[in-house]
Amino acid sequence: MKKALTALAAVGALVALAACGGNSDNSSDGSGSSTEKVTLKFQSLAFQKTTVAATKKIVADWNAANPNIQVEYVQGSWDSVHDQLVTQFQGGTAPDIIHDESADITGFINQGYLADLSPYLSQETKDAVSKGVWDTVSNDGKIYGAPTLMQSYVVLANSAMFKQAGITATGDSLTWDDLAADAKKLTAAGKYGLGWGLKSPTATVLNLGMNFDGKFFDGTGKDAKATIGDPELEVPKRIHAMAYDDKSIDPTSLTQSASDVLPGFYAGKYGMIVAGNYVAQQILEEAPKTFQWEVLPPLKGTSTQQAANPQTLSVPAEGKHIEQSAKFIDYFMKADNLAAVGQGDWLIPTTQGARDAIQKATGGKNGWEQTLASGNDLTKAPFQSVENYPKWKDQIATPALQEYLANKTDLAALGKKLSDGWGQVNQ
Amino acid sequence: MRTRPGTRVLQYLAVLAYLIFLGFPLVWLISSSLKSPQEFASINPSILPKHVDFSNYTDALNEQGLVRGLGNSLQISIYSTILVLIVALPVSYALARFRSRLRPLTNGWILVSQVFPVILIVIPLFMILRPLHLTNTIPGVVIVYMVWSLPFALWMLQGYVAAVPRELEEAASVDGASRVRTIVSIVMPLLRPGLIATAMFTFISAWNEFFFALVLLQDPQLKTLPLVLARFVGAEGQVQFGPLAAASVLATVPSLVFFAFLQRRLTSGLLSGAVKG
Repeated sequence: MKKALTALAAVGALVALAACGGNSDNSSDGSGSSTEKVTLKFQSLAFQKTTVAATKKIVADWNAANPNIQVEYVQGSWDSVHDQLVTQFQGGTAPDIIHDESADITGFINQGYLADLSPYLSQETKDAVSKGVWDTVSNDGKIYGAPTLMQSYVVLANSAMFKQAGITATGDSLTWDDLAADAKKLTAAGKYGLGWGLKSPTATVLNLGMNFDGKFFDGTGKDAKATIGDPELEVPKRIHAMAYDDKSIDPTSLTQSASDVLPGFYAGKYGMIVAGNYVAQQILEEAPKTFQWEVLPPLKGTSTQQAANPQTLSVPAEGKHIEQSAKFIDYFMKADNLAAVGQGDWLIPTTQGARDAIQKATGGKNGWEQTLASGNDLTKAPFQSVENYPKWKDQIATPALQEYLANKTDLAALGKKLSDGWGQVNQ
Repeated sequence: MRTRPGTRVLQYLAVLAYLIFLGFPLVWLISSSLKSPQEFASINPSILPKHVDFSNYTDALNEQGLVRGLGNSLQISIYSTILVLIVALPVSYALARFRSRLRPLTNGWILVSQVFPVILIVIPLFMILRPLHLTNTIPGVVIVYMVWSLPFALWMLQGYVAAVPRELEEAASVDGASRVRTIVSIVMPLLRPGLIATAMFTFISAWNEFFFALVLLQDPQLKTLPLVLARFVGAEGQVQFGPLAAASVLATVPSLVFFAFLQRRLTSGLLSGAVKG
């Protein structure tokens, strides 16, 4: 009986708590005027310790200089941000400043969840980012997110193995033919020239496909048509040839993720790896102290172009303080701020000013020079305007590419699957 | 009947194999939590760390508000468990003991309610809780967890209530005990294993739940443990394995204590000999 009473008391306390527990949403008169004192919630997805610290410093500096527009840092997670935002947009409780990436916000833009920032962003910010990158966050001349950091696919090399094989990689770019030749040269005595984590191959193939002017899609939204021809199939064809004709790619690595191939890279199992440039951060943290590595010049087919999928800062369309939120975003886009977060996450800032600042701070060491150079040719890809691309990627392209890279189908079958599959998912 | 020595040895071997099978993930987790990033990246990983490194624990505790997350999860899980038991006990008793046409319908509905995917109900739920000012609050999450766990708890407890012989209640009734007195003094003590099993299930459900907490809790001060653990995973599949392993070890401790405390009370056989057949 005593226990039952205790339990009832606990319930009573809970009910009292419920009565007291108010929603922590900002109360606001909804005017959004710039003179009222407001507190903005900024959900940041910064991951590396250094980036979290850099982002918090930006927030602290802003708060010190702007007593009327205070920003509260809220830590989010890349893993769950999409589901979280879907619900928050529906319920009208999204953070005032949203950190995401352009590929993810495309759907939110189409559904009208994001505010147009173009009236609020300064000309300085607009001029600092290239048109190709602005295109990834714009629609009908409106800007729905400020692009902050980007990744590119780079070739990382084991310097000792390169030296041993007598290979030097210099110049502005590394052609795909050179990559294949170097990989062949490095393949000997049970070691492979290249380890390539292509467990999820679609993003890599579509991004690097731009090297050969691969478009994959023609048109936008639901009206887009799949265009799969020679340029689009060039990258998978070359990877396949290296893996099964030259035997210079470790076939096991093709079934692994980008992070999974790193231990083999440190152990000298492969002379090179191709991965997102951010793995450099991981290499610095976990590679043996004696391990010597370098980033090679950007890969080149007919060009060095790759798709830009920048991280973004956006404001909900139903936000109560759009103007103030945009002011903070504008501040975040300043060269020094972008350089600080870019350096922490080992990602490429979208503005030339920030890239110059990183170049100056690092002296181009640890592969920064080539990494920054690989950011010069990042631009919007056709697939980024296609509404059902995520569905096509998961249901059609990924399994079809996995099959092809496992040598289970031929190139013609791959092309047919990619093309016909679009008709199946885009209904 | 005596067991042969050979059979006894085989029994011990089977138990040992089972213990190793169950214990290995925990050993691996603890070992991983003590490894340096260099050891993690080794192409030949070892079961035990070559150099014990506690920096993962300091990282886990300092970086992501792990202790606060533990506290929030503990609070939510305990409140949910208590509430579920308070509601489920009388309802499951009524469902088990009173025959009516509504019973199969009720039981059917309880089962059907379990097949809805979380993603389907989370937005309507959010819309209901928001005007009540229960989003972004601990009580809001507790209510959701309670509603979410209640059907299965009812289902579980019904079976336990049905296993209590009616003759015991009839005997109490003959002695002049009221129905409430009978439930409190006769049925509840006999239901203790069932109540503990239900409490365990409810506690685990709340302790591990991620999605509702993700959607309903935005205040960093209110984040639960699964949300804190998710922060060790970055974009493009990057994972801070060391701190994540350390955080997972720390996250396991409260539930281990909870179960160690409860499982001793999870004894059956209370009813043996209660009624002579």
